[in-house]
Amino acid sequence: MSTPPSLRGGARERLQHWLPRLVLSPSFVLVLFFVYGFILWTTYISFSNSGMLPDYTWAGTRQWSRLWSSWTWGIALHNIWVFGLLYIVTCTALGLLLAILLDQRIRAEGALRTIYLYPMALSFIVTGTAWQWFLNPGLGLERTMHSLGWESFSFNWLIDANMAIYTVVIAAVWQATGFIMAMFLAGLRGIDGEMIKAAQIDGAPTWKIYGRIIIPQLRPVFLSAIVVLAHLAIKSFDLIVAMTGGGPGNATAVPATFMYSYAFSRNEMGIAAASAVFMLAVIAALIIPYLYSELRESRS
Amino acid sequence: MSFLHIHNVHKRFGDTHVLKGIDIAIEKGDFLVLVGPSGCGKSTLLNMIAGLDAISEGELLLNGERINDVHPSRRDIAMVFQSYALYPSMTVAGNIGFGLEMRKVAKARRREAIQRAAELLQIENLLDRKPAQLSGGQRQRVAMGRALVREPQLFLFDEPLSNLDAKLRVDMRTEIKQLHQRLGTTIVYVTHDQIEAMTLATRIAVMRGGELQQLGTPQAVYDDPNNLFVAGFMGSPSMNLVTARITRHEGRLVARIAAPAGDVTLPIVRDRAALEAWCDRDVMLGLRPEAITDPASANREDGDIHEATLEIALVEPTGADLYVVTQLGGRSINARMRPGAPLSPGQSTRFAFDVSRMVAFDPETEARIRDEVPATPDEASTGHADSTGNADSTGNILGQNA
Repeated sequence: MSTPPSLRGGARERLQHWLPRLVLSPSFVLVLFFVYGFILWTTYISFSNSGMLPDYTWAGTRQWSRLWSSWTWGIALHNIWVFGLLYIVTCTALGLLLAILLDQRIRAEGALRTIYLYPMALSFIVTGTAWQWFLNPGLGLERTMHSLGWESFSFNWLIDANMAIYTVVIAAVWQATGFIMAMFLAGLRGIDGEMIKAAQIDGAPTWKIYGRIIIPQLRPVFLSAIVVLAHLAIKSFDLIVAMTGGGPGNATAVPATFMYSYAFSRNEMGIAAASAVFMLAVIAALIIPYLYSELRESRS
Repeated sequence: MSFLHIHNVHKRFGDTHVLKGIDIAIEKGDFLVLVGPSGCGKSTLLNMIAGLDAISEGELLLNGERINDVHPSRRDIAMVFQSYALYPSMTVAGNIGFGLEMRKVAKARRREAIQRAAELLQIENLLDRKPAQLSGGQRQRVAMGRALVREPQLFLFDEPLSNLDAKLRVDMRTEIKQLHQRLGTTIVYVTHDQIEAMTLATRIAVMRGGELQQLGTPQAVYDDPNNLFVAGFMGSPSMNLVTARITRHEGRLVARIAAPAGDVTLPIVRDRAALEAWCDRDVMLGLRPEAITDPASANREDGDIHEATLEIALVEPTGADLYVVTQLGGRSINARMRPGAPLSPGQSTRFAFDVSRMVAFDPETEARIRDEVPATPDEASTGHADSTGNADSTGNILGQNA
């Protein structure tokens, strides 16, 4: 109370200046150490001799060449390619179709939208377990059909090494389509209604109005949807663990399950680290240009 | 047979009755402006002509053909929207040519038509650009090009100038008018701007609350309004409306208006027969600002001038005119005087009233009190011949008193 106003003002100003930094610094340090620190650590491990335990002797690119000559890694890469492509294309196409259908000013739109969106609220473990039961020939769909009297019905993709990856695609699409639909629906709602009226007067049939006028305007939504789906696909781990455990055999192995099994059950920490760094690089190659373009747009 | 005939058209959205029986008929080459405050149903009516909104009741005839249920693309109409509604993913040429492309016009002929429309609107140098690269005025031109290129029977404009700034709006207004004169097209144009309506129209339809208030030439609507709403809505500054008592003075029918320095008495010369019935009752009198002037600039040739001395409350110079505000009948009224006249507030001066332009309204029903108009059986303007036939009668009354 006795301090002169100018001095008190100075102290408060200094506090205002330092308070945000003070509050943010613990989380900043934690993120720096646990995220970026361990990224660096993992990268180093991928160039070391590590096996069951970290071993810091430099091994050059030995782990990387072992990774690329591994047969399982080849399967994992092939699977992620098949899974990712089908997942992205199917989700985008189905999401767009559902959004267009929902956009026709139908009744109970709110309820339908929520129903389609709900799967996204489930964790991949729950989705994976539920679909595993549903597709399990001894428990789910096939058994139900048999008990209903359709004896010849057969749907055993889950235990068929050639088809198992597609069951994972089905479950993943079921989960993400609603979310992609919501993104497209928001995009469709942003389109000027007068433009559609103009196209009607111009004599364009509905499918051409969508094909020539509306869908080209949804380009930013397509970009966002594909980036979201692509990084979900590359990171996919829990769904596969819950549904197939990477099996039958290695039939549904993907880079994430590959990394997990090499790190924790096969005691090949170096190879696991190399595969992890590779996944990070792929995701970074996808996300960084996207973020860059997004940030540049919002700044201008 | 009129070219476009809107016959007893209704529109209901659920329980709300948006249009309550609209009757309008126009001829080929007419420029019809639908004007009214927002929510009066003018845009709904335009959308119904375009086929974008269904007609709940009534008939729509274009060239004698009922088009109630014809798809918008088969009505042979084109529409210019308020938001321009250009397709952002196509170039200007693509935008203009889209309608032709959908109608499967051959590429070479399409290019020719696009070129012609672009020349007409002076946008040839913009044909390869995307709409996002254009200014507001340029987008407006492209939107018009898209309508022009198809050479339809009927053009529809939905508040096309309301997104432009004031200066550009006036320029584009002139250009639309020139285009109409040069091409002789039939146009239905929606606006809430009464100046736009006055300058562009050959026919104005004033609407309020889903009902047609008056249909007529701009001059008829301006000089001979059907009711208090039309009188107040059309014109800027708006018509002066004051309460007056109709009495008999020295054998003549007069209107007595209260003023701070003694009542002002003005003889009734217009609609005299109808106003006889209003003797010793109050009416609402309407006089345009330009019908109240200084004695020197009064139009003594066509008008019937009566003077009164009133005190000036306020002086508003606009450059071209000098608007003088005074108190009359308990209201502020606007008079248009000669610019540069040496007038200042507080001063008393002579006001010249052109009583031949005075109109009277029933203060309760707000309807115009007017003499029976000799009905000219005009088949073209079915249903509203009473309001459209009035342009001539105004002239007659003026003539009688000259």
